[in-house]
Amino acid sequence: MDKAFQGEHLLPGHLGQAFVILSFGAALLSTISYYFATTNTNKLDNSWLRMARLAFYANSISILGVVVCLFYVIYNHYFEYHYVWSYTSRSLPVYYIVSGFWNGQEGGFLLWTFWQAVLGNILIRRAKSWEKPVMTVVSLSQLWLASMLIGIQFLGARIGSSPFLLLRNSGIDAPILSQLDYLSFIKDGQGMNPLLQNYWMVIHPPTLFLGLASVVVPFSYAIAGLWQKRYKEWIAQAIPYALFAAMILGTGVIMGSLWAYESLSFGGFWAWDPVENASIFPWLIVLGGLHVLIVFKNTGHSYFTGTMLILLSFVMVLYTSFLSRSGILGETSVHSFTDLGMFWQLVSYIVVFLGISVWLLIARWKELPITKKDEETYSREFWMFVGAIFLGLSCFHLVLVTSIPVWNAIFGTKVAPPTDLVGHYNVIQASFAMVITILTGFTQFLKYKKTDITRFFITTGLYLLCAALITIPVVYATGLYKLHFVFTLVMLGSIYSILANGKVLADALKGKFKLAGSAVAHIGFGLMLIGALIAAGTRGVVSKNEQGTIAVSGFDKSSGIGDARENVMIYKNEPVKMGDYTVTYLGDSVAAPKRYFRVDYKRYDNDGKIAEEFVLRPNVLTNPQAGSEPSPVPDTKHFLLHDLYTHITALPVAKQPTSSESEEAAAHGESDDKNYDPPVAHQIAVGDTIRFREGFIVVKALVREKTLQNIPLTDSDYAFGAKLEVVSNGKTYQAEPVYMIKGKNAFDFARTVDDAGLKLMLTKIIPDKNKVEITVYQQPENKKPWIVMRALDFPYINFLWAGTVIMIIGFLLAIFRRNKELKTT
Amino acid sequence: MKKSSILGLVVIATAIAVIISLYSKASTYSSFSDAKKTESELRVIGKLDKQKELYYDAAKDANYFSFYVKDNKGEECKVVFAGTKPQDFEHSEQIVLTGQMIGNEFHASHILTKCPSKYTPDKIDVTAAKAKSANI
Repeated sequence: MDKAFQGEHLLPGHLGQAFVILSFGAALLSTISYYFATTNTNKLDNSWLRMARLAFYANSISILGVVVCLFYVIYNHYFEYHYVWSYTSRSLPVYYIVSGFWNGQEGGFLLWTFWQAVLGNILIRRAKSWEKPVMTVVSLSQLWLASMLIGIQFLGARIGSSPFLLLRNSGIDAPILSQLDYLSFIKDGQGMNPLLQNYWMVIHPPTLFLGLASVVVPFSYAIAGLWQKRYKEWIAQAIPYALFAAMILGTGVIMGSLWAYESLSFGGFWAWDPVENASIFPWLIVLGGLHVLIVFKNTGHSYFTGTMLILLSFVMVLYTSFLSRSGILGETSVHSFTDLGMFWQLVSYIVVFLGISVWLLIARWKELPITKKDEETYSREFWMFVGAIFLGLSCFHLVLVTSIPVWNAIFGTKVAPPTDLVGHYNVIQASFAMVITILTGFTQFLKYKKTDITRFFITTGLYLLCAALITIPVVYATGLYKLHFVFTLVMLGSIYSILANGKVLADALKGKFKLAGSAVAHIGFGLMLIGALIAAGTRGVVSKNEQGTIAVSGFDKSSGIGDARENVMIYKNEPVKMGDYTVTYLGDSVAAPKRYFRVDYKRYDNDGKIAEEFVLRPNVLTNPQAGSEPSPVPDTKHFLLHDLYTHITALPVAKQPTSSESEEAAAHGESDDKNYDPPVAHQIAVGDTIRFREGFIVVKALVREKTLQNIPLTDSDYAFGAKLEVVSNGKTYQAEPVYMIKGKNAFDFARTVDDAGLKLMLTKIIPDKNKVEITVYQQPENKKPWIVMRALDFPYINFLWAGTVIMIIGFLLAIFRRNKELKTT
Repeated sequence: MKKSSILGLVVIATAIAVIISLYSKASTYSSFSDAKKTESELRVIGKLDKQKELYYDAAKDANYFSFYVKDNKGEECKVVFAGTKPQDFEHSEQIVLTGQMIGNEFHASHILTKCPSKYTPDKIDVTAAKAKSANI
């Protein structure tokens, strides 16, 4: 019999696990039923369809059940569950408890299967004659996702990983877990990685997973079209969904990059990390596929390419998931994801869906409506097709390089990515971007099927000339021309694309409003590229103690872990000139788990007046885990045309004593002299000035004290206070050290001015000379509080974010248009 | 010749160009002894020698960090990085360095540290929890 462990709440876990199994079973039944409903030749027999729908509803409801159970155990802090213990803690605010839900991989799968279920329910309502074959594919995908959550041993291998795994069964090597009362020792969970405690964690994963999940819809339509031999019909149906997938996936990816930019400190919005690259594979392919589908819809050309790209886009979703979850990227990615030991299960997901796609294409090859006629050279369809191919090539390059660890695993090689990886990606991807932007530009002047050639060349040439005239001042003003020539060409392409699409938009506003969607999306895309190009390419390092910002040589070359030669150490209250700014570290404050550092930026105009002043508060997050160092979080001042980004890169190792502590130490008479340079005694009169490293001290007055804290003073005792005014780095502080004669003993009470790093003592009174002796202890440079920080200037980065928003609007307009077309035809 | 065939050729040519450009730039994971033989940049995988000093003194140079790494063949070398100490560097289980040998020091332009404990802290914290319970 099992031992009875005390204090466990097993019911929600059992219930949740039952729902997981149920969702798997229901997905299986739904797949089989939809399959037979599709192949059933008796049109009047709806029994399979009814069963399939019921099974799919059961699947959806059990997924909801899993979600509720998981949320219940997380919300109630049931740390007997490994998932709850690993990713949450009692101190987490509620909105992070929500995001603790998808902190682990199991939660990610759950989110994915949840969205897929939502999309499935929409399809059941909307797909009509397509429901049976399309839902067969969606259900099959649900089946695989459900299997990822099962977490049972089957024929010696573990299938999936359950979010309801108990801590004591999780394989953690700790004897305490076998004690019956182990839960009374586990008071709190591990908590969420502080870097994830950010509002982006609440909205980014659901968006990205909705994007990934929605790629299954056009894929299912493509499979259904091939399977049911309705080769041409599926395309018009799939276009709105493909637009939706491209829109949401793009939004999710950009959200991730905005998150990285705002709150992670690698100093940028895109680092070509394998996990980041993997997230855009499906986006590039679905975007390419979408364009070819539109070509086919309008002209009947390029059927095979369009179908293949749509099929490939979902395979890419699965491949992305494999790359980031299998642990294979260990040596190339900074994103460490736990390897849950589901390597082959993830591979099987890819193999099955790739296999079905390839097999259907081969089996139906002879019947595919492939045109034998060549496209016209001067037709929109031909160049749209070329553009889609280049999107595919861009993805091909990313896949090729990002998958180096996969090639190593397959072929047993030991190839490492290029040493200058960032430069490699930048130059090659920029080349593709250049071709694609130019194509999105001049294709707008072409018509489907046939175009008047002379007019086309005149307009294209005219717009290209305008674009060049704009590009030249832009690249000179931003300094982009100093970099690899290809970046200037991308700039030209983007500006050209914006001009050409701007013309289309202007025409659209005059009447042909249905064309606005693509024009707006292309303009947004162009703006995004311009923003990314200038911000990343001419990123200025402000934290260099020298004049002016310079173009980053590292844009062509690997810029190291991110902060090579870009750090500046500054002492508290000592202004340092960096670029246009005078930067001062003012102090720090703690609001657990964050410790904020106030960094003041001042810019003076030519007359020496302050033209601009702001305070940034970069902070470090204390990690709850023992021995872990705090994680830096940047702070950014956003201007309309540029951003000033600052983060902490190093701090003094030992904790700086807070001012109250040092005062206390002084009050207790403890010697903290070792923290100071050897003292210097000055014999001076009232009104005189003492100089020290960063300023001066004026002796304002000498006063006889009536009382002295809690020391009783009699008439025969003397206590004198020296009123001192300390001016350090332009700031004024007051201090009053005291000298006391009590009985036959003399005492001196030092006063510290922490901000100036001073300890001041009144050590002697010399009445015959009318002078006093002030002893000045000054902290050596390295005992003063300091920070090492890195400040970067990102010019025109708002173009990137604004471009994204515009692109999303364009996608939305296009979705409305295509939906309307579906209804009218 | 059909335009689609021309396009196909362009695609194949581009793909080959991409592969060649990757192949010519791709490196292999090497050791410090390999690094001593060449002047070009390469990647070395190794482990931090935790017995030896990690040197970073912001007051002297905020962009100088040095440490010792033992590569996978067991050879040890001093590594210099022109930046600050990466977070939780001491806890790293594996380090991937990109850089080149200058004299007897390996000058890294890029450091990738792997600290699996950051995300799967299972072992560490159960013991910590135990230590706490012992105090009660």
